[in-house]
Amino acid sequence: MAPTPPSKLPTLRDLLARAHLRLILFTVILAAASLMLSGVMVIRSYAQRNLELTARNVAYTVEPAVVFQDRQAIREGMTSVGVSTGVHQIEVVDPAGHSLAHWDRTHEGPAWLLDAANSVIWPEPARADVRQGGTLIARVEVYGNSGGILRYMLAALLIALTCVGLTVVATRILARRLQNEVIAPLDHVAQVAHAVRQERAFEKRVPASGIAEIDRFGQDFNALLAELQGWHAGLTSENAELQRRATHDGLTGLGNRVLFEQVLADAVAHSQRSGTPFALIYLDVDRFKQVNDEYGHSSGDAALIAVGERLRGAIRHIDAAFRLGGDEFAVVLAPFFNRAHVDGVVHRIRKAMELPYRMPNGQLATASLSVGVAVFPEDGGNAEEMLSHADSAMYRDKRSRQEQDPQGA
Amino acid sequence: MPLGAVAPGSDPYAAAAARTVRGIMEYARWPQRRDPLVLCVAGPVRHAGQIANWRMADGRQVQRRNVAANVAGLAGCDVVYLGQLTVPVQRQLTAAVRGKAVLTIAEADPDNSSEAMFTLTYRPNALSFRLNIDAVSRSGMKVDPRVLRVATGGG
Repeated sequence: MAPTPPSKLPTLRDLLARAHLRLILFTVILAAASLMLSGVMVIRSYAQRNLELTARNVAYTVEPAVVFQDRQAIREGMTSVGVSTGVHQIEVVDPAGHSLAHWDRTHEGPAWLLDAANSVIWPEPARADVRQGGTLIARVEVYGNSGGILRYMLAALLIALTCVGLTVVATRILARRLQNEVIAPLDHVAQVAHAVRQERAFEKRVPASGIAEIDRFGQDFNALLAELQGWHAGLTSENAELQRRATHDGLTGLGNRVLFEQVLADAVAHSQRSGTPFALIYLDVDRFKQVNDEYGHSSGDAALIAVGERLRGAIRHIDAAFRLGGDEFAVVLAPFFNRAHVDGVVHRIRKAMELPYRMPNGQLATASLSVGVAVFPEDGGNAEEMLSHADSAMYRDKRSRQEQDPQGA
Repeated sequence: MPLGAVAPGSDPYAAAAARTVRGIMEYARWPQRRDPLVLCVAGPVRHAGQIANWRMADGRQVQRRNVAANVAGLAGCDVVYLGQLTVPVQRQLTAAVRGKAVLTIAEADPDNSSEAMFTLTYRPNALSFRLNIDAVSRSGMKVDPRVLRVATGGG
């Protein structure tokens, strides 16, 4: 699982979605507003011309009726040619300003809105004079009706709102596509990085994505991972080697004193818990100093190597052999069931030692060992008691063997 | 046309009749420009008391002339105002000017049988006129069709 980022930080998807939304909203609103404005202006200019024509038409039509001072004829003439959807009010006044005829549209819809819109869109009526032979006999005033323009604005507003709604949906779809195409590959990288850090899974690689920049990033990331993997492998094997060197004897490949003390302590603890006995065998190469002095250190080393090999061959896999230093060796026998088993192992070791080994000068030689055994818990209740018991047993063995054969093997 | 304020004892239709005659003349077209225009009042009249000399909107002079109600009396007239005459006399006079550029207006023709181009009609508080399209088309005159809108029925 990738770690969830702190909630304060916006995700890339959010940022992209928000940026898209703002951009598209801005575009739609700008387009809608400019269309609406230019539409209103065009409609208004046509309507203005229509009002002027209507006023002239009314003036021409009612002229005889004004001459005959027939108000009913004025009104009939005025309504017959003047009334149309774009006209809100028609007034025929005499030169003194008295009304001769008046027509007013009955309101459909909210009157205050229409009145407000009319006063904004048509602050001044269209005027035409009624003249007879050059004399002004009446004046016609035609007031515009803004209902049509309001309906146009309403329709434009609805269309704009629809566009905005579509825009929001489109933005979401776009954001999801971006999520799939851009953010998912980035998420892959993040997941791989996290797995590498958490699980040391250096073998993981970022899959290829369809985007050039992210692909390059992924390739570099993979290359970095490969280097990391190499370094990690090197470090691991070096560590293992160091660990082995710290606990093993370089010459014989057996465990050293450090490892021996660890294994012995573990064996004591295990036997105390389980109640099963275990045995510790101490071994010392007879006359090793003499071999060293007589034939050189390389011959001494050869003897030690031979002893190590034979020791390892004489014990089971679950037992462990150690070189404690110089010509001293030790074996920790895993839990066994009777003392005869220990004696059997000691016998096998002595038997193995009878096989000669070849010294660097080509001579064959055999090594003999002095052996001391301590059994837990009879010979000691802890590691130190076991050690000292086995140690003294071994010296007893060495002394008795020197008495039997003063020359040594 | 509403009658407006009228002095007691005088003819209530006189002013409206004068305005109506004037309006009709404004919308009539003679084939040739006549100046002055001669308005002949034929026979005894009841409502022509306020018809006098005046000037048209385009500046032409109008002269009122009282004439005898016979064919000879109509010579030189541009407009004939038929007074309180019998139908046969009215018909005789309108027939005499038929085809000529003479405007005929009848003051007393309730049955619409004088064959005058215009006939004054009376309602209690208003004066109006009828337009006889046959008579107009048979005359040598042209009348602005917008006048039709002001005329009442009977056309």
